[in-house]
Amino acid sequence: MLKVTNLHASIDGKSILNGINLEVKPGEVHAIMGPNGSGKSTLTNVIAGRDGYEVTQGSIEYLGNDLLELAAEERACEGIFLAFQYPVEIPGVSNMAMLKAAMNSMRKYHGQEEIKAGDFLKLIREKADLVEMKHEFLKRAVNQGFSGGEKKRNEILQMAMLEPKLALLDETDSGLDIDALKTVSHGVNALRSPERSMILVTHYQRLLDYIVPDYVHVLANGKIVKSGDKSLALELEAKGYSWIEGMEDTAAAVQQAS
Amino acid sequence: MITANENTSWITAHADVALSGANIAWLNQQRKSALTQFEAVGLPGVRDEDWRYTNLRALKSNDYALTSASSLNIELADTTNPRLVFVDGHLDQAASTGLSDSVTSLKDSLEIVEAHFSSTLPKKPHGFTALNTAYAHDGYVVHLKSGQVLEGVLEVVFVSQSADAVSHTRNLIIADANTQCTIVERHVGTHGTVYLNNVITEVVAGDNAHVDHYKIQQESNDAFHMGGVFINQAKGAHVKSHNIALSGLVTRNDIHSNLLGQGAHVEMNGLVIGQGRQHVDNHTEVNHAVPNCTSDEYYKTVLDDHSRSVFRGRIIVAKDAQLTNADQQNNNLLLSKDAEADCKPQLEIYADDVKCSHGATVGQLDPVSLFYLKSRGIDAKSANALLTFAFANEVIERINVDSVRQELTQIIAGELLSGLEELV
Repeated sequence: MLKVTNLHASIDGKSILNGINLEVKPGEVHAIMGPNGSGKSTLTNVIAGRDGYEVTQGSIEYLGNDLLELAAEERACEGIFLAFQYPVEIPGVSNMAMLKAAMNSMRKYHGQEEIKAGDFLKLIREKADLVEMKHEFLKRAVNQGFSGGEKKRNEILQMAMLEPKLALLDETDSGLDIDALKTVSHGVNALRSPERSMILVTHYQRLLDYIVPDYVHVLANGKIVKSGDKSLALELEAKGYSWIEGMEDTAAAVQQAS
Repeated sequence: MITANENTSWITAHADVALSGANIAWLNQQRKSALTQFEAVGLPGVRDEDWRYTNLRALKSNDYALTSASSLNIELADTTNPRLVFVDGHLDQAASTGLSDSVTSLKDSLEIVEAHFSSTLPKKPHGFTALNTAYAHDGYVVHLKSGQVLEGVLEVVFVSQSADAVSHTRNLIIADANTQCTIVERHVGTHGTVYLNNVITEVVAGDNAHVDHYKIQQESNDAFHMGGVFINQAKGAHVKSHNIALSGLVTRNDIHSNLLGQGAHVEMNGLVIGQGRQHVDNHTEVNHAVPNCTSDEYYKTVLDDHSRSVFRGRIIVAKDAQLTNADQQNNNLLLSKDAEADCKPQLEIYADDVKCSHGATVGQLDPVSLFYLKSRGIDAKSANALLTFAFANEVIERINVDSVRQELTQIIAGELLSGLEELV
């Protein structure tokens, strides 16, 4: 589904990703862990097509096509979804309005008819129940005045509505109390399927107790320094990020050289 | 023909025109002194501080003819509301519905408006205002007697259909104590036609009267619109002025309210959607003359292409007007690097126990919000439209007439938001 090869990316001339290799097959859930500043969020942002990042080397292949050729909105229409670490507040546009615009924009991209109002309403209510969001939140302006937990829940609601093929969850666990974490994880797990892949970016192992990944990768200085299964996350939790310092010598050397 | 850039041409033409109410002494007196005022000030120019950002060269380079009554030759959208139709400044009785004892044309009610005619006008009117008084011949008059409620919404459409026409229209809303009305005034023309629409609406709101006034400017893209809404408010009167400019080549609005009785409240909402080479100049003025009054002003401007806007918001708090609470916001969104917004808040506070706040911003669409929407599959054009709507919506949602709110939503966001009101 996704094949990242030797990906180098920089922002404002500062190199952040220094040769990422990652392959994600349909249905797989990959967790990306790493200390602050290791490039975790940059990786998801580059995949989602955010402005401001320059890919200096390497490639991203998605469903057999060159992903870097596509604009952010085209990537979304092709099934890539980014759950933001800091969801954006949009006063003046309701959750419903945004999601209806998004669904219809995607349908138009695929040459389909607009969704009927009744069907849309039924669907959005069903998905709101999945993430235990009160229906009144649907009428409210996007994320405006939402608590941290409500914002993250809203991201999962959007994901449930848009049914992506590849979901990128950027620190979806940050700022969540244990109850909110359970609800959000429940929503994410309900969306797992043999066709849908996910990349979870997280700082802590805690999230992985609830969303169990197939693979865990440790990122340091813009490179994947270790990959393994779920047990790697536990080992990392026990030993701390200092444990991987030895592994990142190569990456550090690259950093210093640049 | 009036040669617009020759002030004397406006004066000599006056002697030849047959105006309504020619035998009414007080009216003739007002017309005469207005002409004298005009003779002194002439048409404004960029040297006048209040006009320095608004160039009238195009307006002045044209010749205009005073129009006579003609019947409507364009088709208006259907409405379920009572609607008066004015064509080139004259009431088209056949096209109008809703005329009654309380809703009349100025021509037919000159006798009853003496006490109010020009009562709200600024002491030093500019040239267009003076000309309006000198030439005023028709307009609508809504006169509500104490306790009367004008049910529903009254629509008034001013159609300009003759090329090179000038009309000077004077409207009066006289709302005696404890009355209520909602009036939607719309100015339309056919794109490509050049004309000058000089229109003033006076609002005299008595004790505890509630008046909602909407002015929607949809003139021809080659037309000039010189407008004034002048309001006097007595004790406890609540007036809402909604000033929406959607087209026209050069538009100027002076929106003034005099808060003359304690507990009076004025809300001034403005929305400018500028495209092409449109120029919209809004000069607002709230005069807090007595204590315990409130004013709430919210003007938003969206400018694309080479369009320009001017906002001058003046708040005057008189020495005795203690416990005044005045707020003014003016936010400008530039969608093009060729667009320009000039804004000038102007607060003159002579009392010491007051709360006055104001804010002015000029900015562009937020790139992070744009990316957020795009990452949900929303195409760039729609994402821009949604965020533009979001910006304008804070003014749009203050509109209490559903059809007007839906119309503006449609204009800004197209079909993106259609059908959502029913979903909620």
